[in-house]
Amino acid sequence: MIRKLAYLVGSLTLLFGLWGFYDRFAHGHQNANYGSYVVWGLWVAMYLFFAGIAAGGFMIATLDLLFGIKLFKGTGRVALWGSLVCLVAALISIGLDNGHLFRIWKVYLQGNPFSLLFQMVWGYTLFGMISVIALLLASRQPNSPYLKPLMAVGLVFSFFISGAVGALLGVNAARPFWHVGLFPVQFPVFSLASGAAMMLTAIGFFGREDDPNRPQQLWVLSLVSVVLVVVKLYFMWADYSQSMYGNVPMNVQAVRQVLFGEYWWAFWILQILIGSLIPLVFLVQRRYATQNHWAGWMGILLLVGYAVARGLIIFPALTVPELEALVHAFSGPHLTFDYFPSLMEWAVTSGTIGIAILAFLIGSEKLNLFSATPKEA
Amino acid sequence: MSQSMQANLLSKVASEVFAGVIAPALENAPLIEAAADDVLVREDELVRMERELKRALQKRPAERRWVMVIDLRRCIGCHACTIACVAENKLPPGVVYRPVLTEEIGKYPHVTYRFLPKPCLQCENAPCTPVCPVNATYTNEEGVIVVDYDQCIGCRACISACPYASRTFDFGRNYTDNTVDGLTMTLGSSLAGQYETSGTAFEYGQRRERKHEQSPIGNVRKCHFCLHRIMEGILPACTTTCIGRATFFGDANDPESLVAELIAKPNVMRLKEELGTEPRVYYLV
Repeated sequence: MIRKLAYLVGSLTLLFGLWGFYDRFAHGHQNANYGSYVVWGLWVAMYLFFAGIAAGGFMIATLDLLFGIKLFKGTGRVALWGSLVCLVAALISIGLDNGHLFRIWKVYLQGNPFSLLFQMVWGYTLFGMISVIALLLASRQPNSPYLKPLMAVGLVFSFFISGAVGALLGVNAARPFWHVGLFPVQFPVFSLASGAAMMLTAIGFFGREDDPNRPQQLWVLSLVSVVLVVVKLYFMWADYSQSMYGNVPMNVQAVRQVLFGEYWWAFWILQILIGSLIPLVFLVQRRYATQNHWAGWMGILLLVGYAVARGLIIFPALTVPELEALVHAFSGPHLTFDYFPSLMEWAVTSGTIGIAILAFLIGSEKLNLFSATPKEA
Repeated sequence: MSQSMQANLLSKVASEVFAGVIAPALENAPLIEAAADDVLVREDELVRMERELKRALQKRPAERRWVMVIDLRRCIGCHACTIACVAENKLPPGVVYRPVLTEEIGKYPHVTYRFLPKPCLQCENAPCTPVCPVNATYTNEEGVIVVDYDQCIGCRACISACPYASRTFDFGRNYTDNTVDGLTMTLGSSLAGQYETSGTAFEYGQRRERKHEQSPIGNVRKCHFCLHRIMEGILPACTTTCIGRATFFGDANDPESLVAELIAKPNVMRLKEELGTEPRVYYLV
């Protein structure tokens, strides 16, 4: 039943997304609401979100495929596939955000090695290759001597690509809201939290009914999620409270924008209430956390909260003018400090989510990811 | 009243433009015969800067250091520089290289305005160039930060890194998009639009038609001190258009240049000095 529902959701979101993809390729960036002031919008936020799941999914996969923890035996391939699917979704999101998508080869052949974006592109490429090879090995030769070393290298890369996202924002000294020294430390934690939520959803909804480990896996993932949500909330408290006490105007404005401004509803309702508090309440209770569908839905709520959190890292910093009078200095399309994604942006994001959902479902069936051992595949 | 007395009076009570117009009528003597330091015959700053520009062009590019000085006391907020820049570079909607920031000070009836023209500040320690993953934006040997449109992938990391919002993204719009065709060639998207999208801009010395998804559409764009004009010995469009003579341009490495004189004054400031970006655009306050 839930699988059919997932197929339906995946198909509908992709269908809506097809219009968005058409609009993006036919009219370029014209119908986007981001601009020259709010320079990164929904697609960059979703790139952060999906890339976070990709890195976190790989981290979770190492529990089975690198550290050999018995409880998680058989979950490594699910986590790897989820990671790969989300990596592709992340690259679709950020690729479509670029002005000249098809010049991406220049990063490889004519790149600037000192640019974080250059390092990230190479990082994603190598990380993706490692993930594919690891998945193939885990599926076809689970006893291969190369699997564990590969997973170990992949684990380092997963920390690198998630930390680099934090650094990409953190190096912007002109934007105090991002210029936080701990950003590259925080992002791997966010990624691990996203990976745990993704696995909670995957095992909760699609795990094998007769798997005796399943309730315990869900319980452990729930506790991990609870701890990481609390850590995440603490990071946020630290960032926001320091910003407010520090009283640097640009920083305070950005925090106020989140707490009481244009995005208050997204923060209080989606990120805090739906994305953090409700899952916390249910996941700390074993009777709910070990019930498949409860765990699955709580995983979904956590993911919604994490996606909103990514947006609330990106948008507010950009909606504060670098120079006060810039707001009215010159009028024109895409020259505004207000931002809410356009229908085209939502459609493209919907399509990307649809691709991720359908790819995960189809892949999990074709690769028999939820079988007890790869040999059953 | 002697000519020098008239000149002194005029220099106190009238603008130089006004003084230049009215003086010959007051006394029939040709201005050229007046003393060299006479305010009435003082060389126009534009003429001087153009002469200095040609002198600077004799030097090797690496020996030049282009700077811009903007006298905020002279700026009247007419936005002519903004429009001249848009016209010179044929900038599309949503792309601006030199907005003029306007700030209202005080409350009615004690209100005044403050204006701040803001081109790219051409920082010596630019935060925008190292973030580019493909070296599409860089500081050229004359110290001007440029964008290689054919190299830029449109990631906009440089816009995000710029503390002055001096870069804009070309979303591919045109002023004539969806306009109704008129009877003459000057109206409408199909006729005037042809001119708008034709390669008649000379930015970077390149002719580029505006076609779907072709550079500079999908690229980040910014002020480049009108390099294409400088190379021909012509001052930037914003400088020549400024009716208050508030914008000065030249080679700061030439100690006798006007800009070198101006940036040595004590009333010079630069934007967000605390960031350590070392802008090459100076403001006189």
